[in-house]
Amino acid sequence: MIAVDERAGYLPGLTTDEVAWRTLTFRRANRTLDVAVPVLSDAQIDQVTKRVRDASRAYLKTLTVAQIIAIIERAIARLLDRDDPWRRKMEDLLPLVTGYDSEMVRLGLTGYLKTFRGPELRKFVAEDFANPQILDDFQPMPKGGFAKAFGPDLLVHIWAGNVPGLPLWSLISGLLVKAGNIGKVSSAEPLFAGWFAELLAEIEPRLADCVAVLWWKGGDQAPERALFNRADVVLAYGGNDALEEIRGRVPVTARYLPFGHKIGVGMVARAALDTQKAWAVAHRAAYDIARYDQQGCYSPQAFFVERGAGISPREFAGYVAHELACFEQKFPRRDLSLDEAGSVAAFRHGEEMKATSQPGRELMGDEAGAWSVAFVEDADDFAPSGLNRTVRIYAVDRLDDAVARIAPFKPFLQTVGIAAAPDELHRLGALLGAAGVTRICAIGAMSAPEAGWHHDGRFNLLDLITMTEIDSSAETAADGFARYVD
Amino acid sequence: MTEARIIEQVLALIAAEDASEAAFNRLALDLFAYQFENNIPYRRFATGRAKTVRTVKDWRDIPAVPISAFKDLTLSCRPPEDAVRVFMTSGTTQGGVRGKSHHPTLAVYDASMIRNFGQRVMQGRDRIRMGILFPTEDAMPNSSLAHYLALAVETFGADGSHYLLDESGLDSARLFAELARAEATGEPYGLLGASYSFVHLLDDMQRQGRTAALPDGSLIMDTGGFKGQSRELEAEDFYHLLSSRLGVPKRRCINMYGMTELSTQFYDWGNDTSPSVKSGPHWIRSRVVNPLTGDDVPRGAVGVLAHCDLAHFNVVSTILTEDAGIEVEGGFVLLGRADGAEAKGCSMAVEEFLKAAQG
Repeated sequence: MIAVDERAGYLPGLTTDEVAWRTLTFRRANRTLDVAVPVLSDAQIDQVTKRVRDASRAYLKTLTVAQIIAIIERAIARLLDRDDPWRRKMEDLLPLVTGYDSEMVRLGLTGYLKTFRGPELRKFVAEDFANPQILDDFQPMPKGGFAKAFGPDLLVHIWAGNVPGLPLWSLISGLLVKAGNIGKVSSAEPLFAGWFAELLAEIEPRLADCVAVLWWKGGDQAPERALFNRADVVLAYGGNDALEEIRGRVPVTARYLPFGHKIGVGMVARAALDTQKAWAVAHRAAYDIARYDQQGCYSPQAFFVERGAGISPREFAGYVAHELACFEQKFPRRDLSLDEAGSVAAFRHGEEMKATSQPGRELMGDEAGAWSVAFVEDADDFAPSGLNRTVRIYAVDRLDDAVARIAPFKPFLQTVGIAAAPDELHRLGALLGAAGVTRICAIGAMSAPEAGWHHDGRFNLLDLITMTEIDSSAETAADGFARYVD
Repeated sequence: MTEARIIEQVLALIAAEDASEAAFNRLALDLFAYQFENNIPYRRFATGRAKTVRTVKDWRDIPAVPISAFKDLTLSCRPPEDAVRVFMTSGTTQGGVRGKSHHPTLAVYDASMIRNFGQRVMQGRDRIRMGILFPTEDAMPNSSLAHYLALAVETFGADGSHYLLDESGLDSARLFAELARAEATGEPYGLLGASYSFVHLLDDMQRQGRTAALPDGSLIMDTGGFKGQSRELEAEDFYHLLSSRLGVPKRRCINMYGMTELSTQFYDWGNDTSPSVKSGPHWIRSRVVNPLTGDDVPRGAVGVLAHCDLAHFNVVSTILTEDAGIEVEGGFVLLGRADGAEAKGCSMAVEEFLKAAQG
């Protein structure tokens, strides 16, 4: 066996020796990776917190947004360069840590990192600020007076999941508003965020103290309390139970931004179901299902397919099954934990049982359980799939029926992928928006949100900042105190 | 084969000293043929997996019904209305839908329980004064555990055996009186019931600052674990507390692993070491399998448990559980549930969705 050792986290002001470490072991096929994660004492957490907050005040807040974008742009350019040592390390180790196929990780990284290049970052800022200079200086306001947007001195991120690179969204958002950032990485993918922080410090040493990347066991209360007590904003990803617990520990004076688990669906209209177009749509649907094995909040777990076109919903389900079988050859699904395999098994067994007793239900899948498509002709149920390339495909008379079917689950809705003609797209978009869906995209793009998208319908940057306003009354009064007053 | 003939054979096997692989296999295949013929949903399920009387030649090939199916299907060879008793799961998962096992007679269930309990819990003793930490059979007519414990009292309970649980909870006064009585008289005492009731008992004892030193021959039998309860204890701590508060050695603290979907239970030989090794009698056999393929995992690897219980004659003999386990010398070690409750990514998983949907 080849053993590789990595240290996760990024701890400004602390040396490796003065920190306690714990080892997380990742095993795939013939490789083992021991990742040491830092276990900080309360005093060390305090020390890091203070350092990051002070550095953000003393340095980061003196930069303009344009300067910050320039630094991030250089970091992203490095990571897009396949010869760069950081990039090589990511391509080498992230498949080992997450279990995802290495080609899928490579393509995923490139596609994802592209959304953080300079022009994309400018879109990011423009998306939330009509006048981005408001992040640098007081700007005149239409109502009168002036205003400036201040980012938090300390933004705490609780990251979750195993999708490579996920922490970049909130970390870069934090940097763009000049926040001091402390993030907690998940045990499922503890490396990426720390690497990115190191790379930033390499590019701009004065940023070295503006970011820290920590680890603790999920749900451990002591480090959370210590951090949250000093945080201006706490941003957390996770299941609702975990988010609820975190909420209980965030002081009422800090802002809390929870991002819960979500469910995505796809919708295929009659217009997309002729013999020429249906295969391509099925291919893209299968891609959305296979990409990161449905671990993303935007991943589809069900598709609704309209009846009455040249290709029937049942035929479309067969196409998707075929495409998933092809993807299994190209990008094999990662090995599952017993718990995950149990979840897939529960999905398959449940559908198998229903298929024996209810006509119009059918389960397609390979013997090893690498992918599964459950076709549902008549039933009006709706539930998440078993994940890891399992999906339900429902036949509906009209996609409007599908909107009604998912509407009761408003708190969990996020992305809907649509294959429909323009007028249909906009008509459905209005219905879906009213039902609580926050992102509508093409099938095939579900797992690759655009730069500056509104995650769960919220504002990436606006939610982080506070506005400081100079009222016009202050201006008028100040005139009275000027040296040149008449 | 008729039901009467099947019952006769199963009872004979239970009564036998042991079962050879061949004898077990023979009856398992007869039972599969009987269930394939008479249990229509099971036949559809088996046929869907291309398993028929003709293709199944070994008990390991008998298609295992996932326990979730007990919630969707009525799995019974006799018409369900012929059942003298229907045991139901607690319905804590899957939106309150309860899995059912229909019993047209309890003769086989009872014979299985009595033979096994005598060997594994009583270990040669005829009767013992019992305190039961669970509601009565009248209070919970659909609980297999209530019936099991009633049967334990009836068959193995000495005069004065009693229930310690009612609608208002644990009868602490009676419990402490019984503990004092046992200490004073030296008559062994057996406490049997649900694991979480023992936690309440331990909490009560601690609150009142009590300990007991039960006489030699006393025993404790708990079952069910703590999933979904207000408090969870590690097995090691649990048996340490039980043993030190009640004075029953850990090797006489026995954990029973049973399911509504079976007619036979598994026991360990005490809890001197954790986790304990569970095993069943000669009329039930278990495999550790990959939940997706149903194939045996390599020996020593973690998988989910599949059981072939010849006493579950009216329903299906062979089930696939959601319990993770590992095969070891002399049986298997239980490792909790493999139900996908812990999502890895940020995609909503079924368990969380159901929980949220139930409010």
